Amino acid sequence: MKEFLIFPPLTLIYLALKSTVFQSVPLPDIPLLFVFYIGFRKASVAGVAVAFALGYMEDALTGGIFGLTSLALVSIFLIVHLMSKRVHFSSPAMRAGGAFTLAFAKGLIVYLLMSFIGLKAPFLLRTLLKAAITAAFAPAVILLLMRISSRLNKPGLANTE
Amino acid sequence: MTSFLKKHQIIIASALLLIFSLHLALTDKKEPARGALIKDILTAMASPIEKAAGGAQNGVIGIFENYVLLLNTKTENDSLKAALIAVQAENNKLREEVNLNARLKELLAYKEDSDFSTITASVISFGTNDWAGTALINKGHAEGVKKDMAIITPLGVMGRVINAGANTSRVLLNTDPRSNIDVVVRRTRVKGVIEGNGSDALYLKYIRQLDDVQAGDEVITSGLTGIFPKGLVVGTVIKTEKGGDNFFKQIDVWPAVEMSRKLEEVLIVTDIGTVLE
Repeated sequence: MKEFLIFPPLTLIYLALKSTVFQSVPLPDIPLLFVFYIGFRKASVAGVAVAFALGYMEDALTGGIFGLTSLALVSIFLIVHLMSKRVHFSSPAMRAGGAFTLAFAKGLIVYLLMSFIGLKAPFLLRTLLKAAITAAFAPAVILLLMRISSRLNKPGLANTE
Repeated sequence: MTSFLKKHQIIIASALLLIFSLHLALTDKKEPARGALIKDILTAMASPIEKAAGGAQNGVIGIFENYVLLLNTKTENDSLKAALIAVQAENNKLREEVNLNARLKELLAYKEDSDFSTITASVISFGTNDWAGTALINKGHAEGVKKDMAIITPLGVMGRVINAGANTSRVLLNTDPRSNIDVVVRRTRVKGVIEGNGSDALYLKYIRQLDDVQAGDEVITSGLTGIFPKGLVVGTVIKTEKGGDNFFKQIDVWPAVEMSRKLEEVLIVTDIGTVLE
């Protein structure tokens, strides 16, 4: 539970850097990787709430439509949670593949909902590029999150999970 | 019942949050003021990071331009190098101020020539997700900024304010798919609506097949909605095609103001003055 608290500030920093220093650099979808990690490693009601909160933050800070990214990230969480009973994302290749699929799914969910609202948005090329970059970074980011998690849950440190 | 809820609590919580998110997304247009407090809090938390990141970026560029390129000099004469770095840093700062001065002069000249009231603001950051086009500027309702005020530059229209916080405001860029601007084609006076394409360009909509619009035509604001002063350049037509419905043309427009990181200062139109339709 305690480690969930690191995701909102990290997302805030990520979004702030993305909108300034890395504005024209294609970055991996870090909030999506957080949700991926929570979904297959730490699925819980608090995890769903974090997925919703990260999406809400992204919508608020990018001036997007409220609920759009929240819906996408909660859907991703649910997909990962249901998949994790059958698929084990234990190898870097599986994590990269999973991240690619989920990033594409996120783009598709956003695109479909926007079309439903009546807004046109670019989809295929942009989503594929983003999915590829997210997949490339996924193994390293997930490994880092696992290390942070093991440090936080070390004996001697209070484990609130 | 309790065991069922406990067993499926994650799926139930997810389903509830999915329904809530869907409700938020579908009603966002109807309730634009919703979440204003949360937006303000998050923006207040993020803007120091954004400002620091922007400052650090300029610092790194300055170091690269003024320090890294002078490493050989350092090995020859450390004291001379230190003095040179200080002078270069000063020079860099002065050059930045000269650039800023030139940009502000341009804005000031434009301000004096225009018939409407404006205030100057700086762009703090660009809100970039996969499709939305927004920017954060450093003026809010403390400086008199209100929702739906036009944001322009001497080159043309940039967007409009969608959320005015205390000291910052969120601007909806023309390129965002939610942006709609009533426009007129300058050459033929044909009326239409400019909509963002979610990327770098714009669509000109509701132009009939029989209307005369060609590549190269300039598109200007009509002044009809009362948000944008009349006659400001929005963009230039780059492509016209027969639309899929055989009634309207499909027209691509390149925006007059490119929404890139080069954009640093903008004007907020606080009063559009008398609009003659």
